[in-house]
Amino acid sequence: MMGEEYKIPDGLLYTEEHEWVRVEGDGTVTIGVTDYAQKQLHEIVYVELPDVEADVEQMSVVGAVESVKAVSDLNCPVSGAVLEVNDELLDSPELINEDPYGEGWIAKLRPSDLDGDKVRLMDAESYGKHVAEQGH
Amino acid sequence: MDLKKTHIYAYHAEHGNIVDFGGYALPVWFKGIIPEHHAVRNGVGIFDTSHMGRTFAKGSEVVKFLNWVVTNDVSRLGAMEGLYTVMLKPDAGIVDDLITYKMSEEEFFIVYNAANREKDFAWLKENSGGFDVELRDVSDEIAMIAVQGPKAEETLQRITEDDLSEVGRFNLARLTVSGYKCMAARTGYTGEDGFEVFVLDCSLERPEKALKVWSGLLEAGAVPVGLGARDSLRMEAGLNLYGNDITEEINPLEARLRWVVKFKKEGGFIGREVLQGVREAGVDRSQVGIQVVGRGIPRQHYEILDEAGERVIGEVTSGGMAPTLGYGIAIGYVPRELRKIGTPVKIRIRSRLVDGKIVKSHPFYDDSVYGWKREK
Repeated sequence: MMGEEYKIPDGLLYTEEHEWVRVEGDGTVTIGVTDYAQKQLHEIVYVELPDVEADVEQMSVVGAVESVKAVSDLNCPVSGAVLEVNDELLDSPELINEDPYGEGWIAKLRPSDLDGDKVRLMDAESYGKHVAEQGH
Repeated sequence: MDLKKTHIYAYHAEHGNIVDFGGYALPVWFKGIIPEHHAVRNGVGIFDTSHMGRTFAKGSEVVKFLNWVVTNDVSRLGAMEGLYTVMLKPDAGIVDDLITYKMSEEEFFIVYNAANREKDFAWLKENSGGFDVELRDVSDEIAMIAVQGPKAEETLQRITEDDLSEVGRFNLARLTVSGYKCMAARTGYTGEDGFEVFVLDCSLERPEKALKVWSGLLEAGAVPVGLGARDSLRMEAGLNLYGNDITEEINPLEARLRWVVKFKKEGGFIGREVLQGVREAGVDRSQVGIQVVGRGIPRQHYEILDEAGERVIGEVTSGGMAPTLGYGIAIGYVPRELRKIGTPVKIRIRSRLVDGKIVKSHPFYDDSVYGWKREK
């Protein structure tokens, strides 16, 4: 996998475990897994979505993304309440492979302590460095 | 750490997604597990299985020796016929599952699991004392390529002049493939028709013959397949994976391998006494296949619970998504009284209990539609 290019859009926040967060204009956040994560998993065949209305802690396991071979925990990048999940993924988990930052989004949350949570999140540049350090 | 390489490594390095598989650098996939899986079920795929163990056993007492170390009866084999069997420890735990081929009255060819290469050879050696038999580990001198799928015969036929239609299931034949001396057995680990081709006299240092056969098969239309689909294909066929579904802690009666145990054969076999006791008392647990009815993918070590979800009754030993079937399947062990087909169970998938039921699993698919018995 060396030398492979990964999309890491500016403006998003990232976890060390390869989830992303987008802060929306209305104060909610959208979360998903990164291009690096989907490429590592390769063909995604199943997504276990977070429970809607659940109150979750930052970096708690709220679901899973699975390929034929592997299971990857979904860690929630922020604390808060789950508002909505992407039901499309139940029938089309491959949307995460095809468009990890778009149609492959996983959930929307109302964050409870976004400023506090940001301490553990990275910007695109730092995350790019983190990815470059993986797997060597 | 330096990974061991197989004869086909040069191809994998260029085209495969390589992982460390028990110390071997092998491809988990080339294009993807799912397309490779379907290629084998519906067409033809080729696998590099050169990491497997291969040994020649030769001597006037080779039949007597093998019949002592394995549970099946090799004395009933004709020349160039093979059989699937297991070998047991004295306590009836499974040392490995393997195929033994009779080449002649005094020579056998034995093929066993990659993960057990050293262990098995040592076990064979250790138990050969007192028999006139010589063992030679030829794993690195013979390359091994599996050609699997409903189009396996026609594809391999394109690169050999020998008539493959004459090679019956579990038979071994001497062939010339791509101009090189080979043996081929009509066996495999996918549930499909196919061959395992042994490229003879092919060292790791000079692997050209194996690479030539591999590229010949690709040109003949075969799809290269990695270890990922090898696992999903064998699971759908209900075939055991040593280390998961059978181990030294499991005996063949629990593993539904009664058919490879010949209690009455002359001279007995290692583990017979204990296994006879198990047979008389009845097994406590039994291997079953489980189909996930709800949503989710079972994985190795997940708990199996009773229908009410109150009591843990066993554990998944292999599990995954079955690409041909479109749902999750598992192989696991449950108490004997719960092994009946149709029995509802639950599987704990992380925090959830998912519905499952015990199903026919040899194979999991409809064998009139898929697999080597399919209606042509």
